[in-house]
Amino acid sequence: MTDIKRLNEADALISETAREFGLDFMLQEFDVVPVEKMMEIVAYRLPVNFSHWSFGRDYESERTKFEHGFAVPYEVVFNSDPCRAYLMESNPFAIQVMVMAHVYAHNDFMKNNLHFRGTRRDMVTSASEAASRFRGYEEAYGMEQVEGILDAGMSIQWNIDPDEELHKLTENEERERLYGWKKSPPAKGSFDDLIPRRPEISREEKEQLRRKTPPEPTPELLGYIINHSPKPLKDWERDVLQVLKEQAQYFMPYRRTKIMNEGWATFWHERIIGRLLAEGFLEPSEHGLYNIYNARVKAHHPRVLNPYLLGSALFSDIEERWNKGRFGRDFEDEVYARKRELFDTGLMKGREKIFSVRKTHMDWFFIDEFLSPDMIEKLCLYTYEEKETDTHNESVIAETEWRKIKSLLVRSLMNWGVPRILVVDGNYMNSLQLYLKHDFESLPLEEEYCRKTLEYIFRLWSRPVHLETQKLSGDNPYGVVYTCDEDGVRERAM
Amino acid sequence: MAVDSPDFDMTPRGKTDAARHRDKIKEALRRSLPDIIGEEAIITRREGKIVKVPVRGLKSYHFRHGSAGGSAGGFGSGGGKKGAVVGRTPKPGQGRPGQPGDEPGIDYLETEIDLEELVEMMFKDLGLPNLKQKEVMETVIPRGWTFDSIRTSGIMPRLDKKRTIKEAIRRTEVLISHLMEETRRSVEACRAALLEAGGDPVRARELLASGAVYGNFSSQDSVQQPFIESSDLRFRTLAEDVEYRSNAVLIAMMDVSGSMDNMKKYFARSFFFWLVSFLRTVYENVKIRFIAHTTEAKLVDEEEFFHKGESGGTYCHTAYELANDLIDREYSPERWNIYTFHFSDGEDWDAARTAAAAEKVLERGISAFGYGEIQTDYSTSVLMQALVEKLELKKDKAGQFAYYGGSFDLTPLVGVEIRSKDDLYPALRCFLHKEHVGP
Repeated sequence: MTDIKRLNEADALISETAREFGLDFMLQEFDVVPVEKMMEIVAYRLPVNFSHWSFGRDYESERTKFEHGFAVPYEVVFNSDPCRAYLMESNPFAIQVMVMAHVYAHNDFMKNNLHFRGTRRDMVTSASEAASRFRGYEEAYGMEQVEGILDAGMSIQWNIDPDEELHKLTENEERERLYGWKKSPPAKGSFDDLIPRRPEISREEKEQLRRKTPPEPTPELLGYIINHSPKPLKDWERDVLQVLKEQAQYFMPYRRTKIMNEGWATFWHERIIGRLLAEGFLEPSEHGLYNIYNARVKAHHPRVLNPYLLGSALFSDIEERWNKGRFGRDFEDEVYARKRELFDTGLMKGREKIFSVRKTHMDWFFIDEFLSPDMIEKLCLYTYEEKETDTHNESVIAETEWRKIKSLLVRSLMNWGVPRILVVDGNYMNSLQLYLKHDFESLPLEEEYCRKTLEYIFRLWSRPVHLETQKLSGDNPYGVVYTCDEDGVRERAM
Repeated sequence: MAVDSPDFDMTPRGKTDAARHRDKIKEALRRSLPDIIGEEAIITRREGKIVKVPVRGLKSYHFRHGSAGGSAGGFGSGGGKKGAVVGRTPKPGQGRPGQPGDEPGIDYLETEIDLEELVEMMFKDLGLPNLKQKEVMETVIPRGWTFDSIRTSGIMPRLDKKRTIKEAIRRTEVLISHLMEETRRSVEACRAALLEAGGDPVRARELLASGAVYGNFSSQDSVQQPFIESSDLRFRTLAEDVEYRSNAVLIAMMDVSGSMDNMKKYFARSFFFWLVSFLRTVYENVKIRFIAHTTEAKLVDEEEFFHKGESGGTYCHTAYELANDLIDREYSPERWNIYTFHFSDGEDWDAARTAAAAEKVLERGISAFGYGEIQTDYSTSVLMQALVEKLELKKDKAGQFAYYGGSFDLTPLVGVEIRSKDDLYPALRCFLHKEHVGP
């Protein structure tokens, strides 16, 4: 039986220690839940969510991992106020304490990181309401129908514009902006006058623009389909897609800051538990167990970049570098390894620096700015490729050179790890066909996934769907266009 | 309190959606059945009807980056030289998916499936040999007495109170509506009059006509009381309770002489496990009797059957003779569906006599007869040949799998040769296949 009393003591101690360290968090609540419930929350992403086979699959996958002892000490925490987190009943006390310390740092991160601003904090309730609405749809229109929409919608759930709120314009407002019409002069003290003004455009161009939808290419694929699909979508179908979009928006900050968020939480739980150990709150046997699990959390994975490991290593590194002034010209130009090793200006700005980084950054520029060649070497990072032999699928190390790794990593993290797909024309060939364009960035799309996804989009759009992208032949890219209609997906060279 | 242990709604959503996922991968699951059949963990599992089957999860498609060649890839850490292999998973259909290289859980998950569902999936498209005769062979098992039907006469101890009251209520209400029609008084008045009259309709009509019952009854006053007459009485009758049951017995025979090593016994064991599982889905009552033989045969328990090795020579006919005895003593073919299956490595010192003994068993009229020969490069196989000749079996093919088939009167006969684990599934299917039902 879980010792709720002792967990509450731990909670008080941890929150106090966290505050002393300077963490700034929302009110924190923990629920102790049975194993099965925990697996469900992990698989369904939310405490209560709608039904879908993919969640069932993930549930079995979690259970398999758990039963085979690959379990990590689950930490599940939701961005709500008060912040809600779950502890798994069966975990030993030392692990609960570790998870709690970890969660407090997540809490601090979610409260302070700029990219979490503006996320809705009522998602838990909203998802549970959606779940019961969807059940109604299943009864009214059949499970297969609802599943069909969910399958299709989930395939492009992440092809949205997470910053939509910041520049929300109707299509007409967007057109006016592109016409270059003069608006009222910029407000005093704003920086709007620094933004280059568009020159007013010609009459013909205006006429063209008036008919064009979207006026300008947009990454908001899911939203565009919801609003403009010629299918036309029924109300309930639109509701299903809208819920998918809202959930993606809700999870977007997590996705954009995965490495930072987990790194930050790991960095702090180690320090908080260190303090608890020093104060003798944990028994020696619990100390041992904590060490084992903590090592597992930070373990190297041959085929997954472990965000706990990478993130916490980077925060430690940043703290050390800013403590010793190891940045800027003087340090960069120092070529002698011995001198680099001893480089220390006694700046002691480490803590300050990591707190400001946790506020402003998200993963891709966090990595871009702070992942040094030294760190890549220290963590032995590499890229791998899947190759097939006669009997096996093998993962083979493809690249170990730091420049290439870093640039690939940064590129893969941009756009929250999802290829950037733009809606270019919703009335292509003047016949309501959908024309999409992939922002190539020298990373091609994976073919099988691309084709299946196009079929899903076609299901939602019901008119032919085109996707312009590039493939590589050796190192040379060449353009291709995929087209999906009733007869399936075809490919042609540009 | 910041840490709490609340009560949760424990509707198993995970399991429901997992079943839906399993539905969608049924084809893939079916393809991996030959592997699953040889899975030792399933056969040696201790308790419960849930079997865990490793499967590859269904992909969720979305746009995603590929590596330069368009294939999948990613980042890892912990070091290694360019070209080093950091992970391997067998392709589907290669080896055992339960232990895929180094990291289960990434590509594979274990789906929890009911043993019955799994067996059904394996043999769904197959009938059972001689399924037609099953009805004939149902046995009647007395289970004492049961209440059978309802009658209007009987003795008081068997009065069915509920049915009697129902009848009375029905009749009383009809009576009241008649009174209302005749006297044009309210329902409450009629009810009160009937109550006053003690249920006698004639007297109630008089009371209403004489004006002895006045209007103004609130609904609380009127009690809906039924009046029981002898015509309302209902009695239950007793009947003998019997249950119709179909019984099956599998007589499992195996050579346990020195030449049957553990591997061969494992094949036999897997085969019997699935055979019994399947029979259980069809028959409520499946008995398995084990006969182990060297130069002589004896009845043994399951443990001994599979695990105890003996040394010495081989007389297979002893097993068939013992089986014949057993049928005589305990399993009359009129009451039982009898299946016999014999495993050996083909070695027999007197194969002709075995074939004759087998024929004797067949003359009893059993449901199916099977013989499995586990062959290695070194086995000296004489028994299959002898059986083939004696029982006039013909070489046949089911897909890729070759076997000997035939029939004896109505009893289907199957001879299979098992060389590796992969042969188990087709061999089982052969034995259980509908088409072997005799003419």
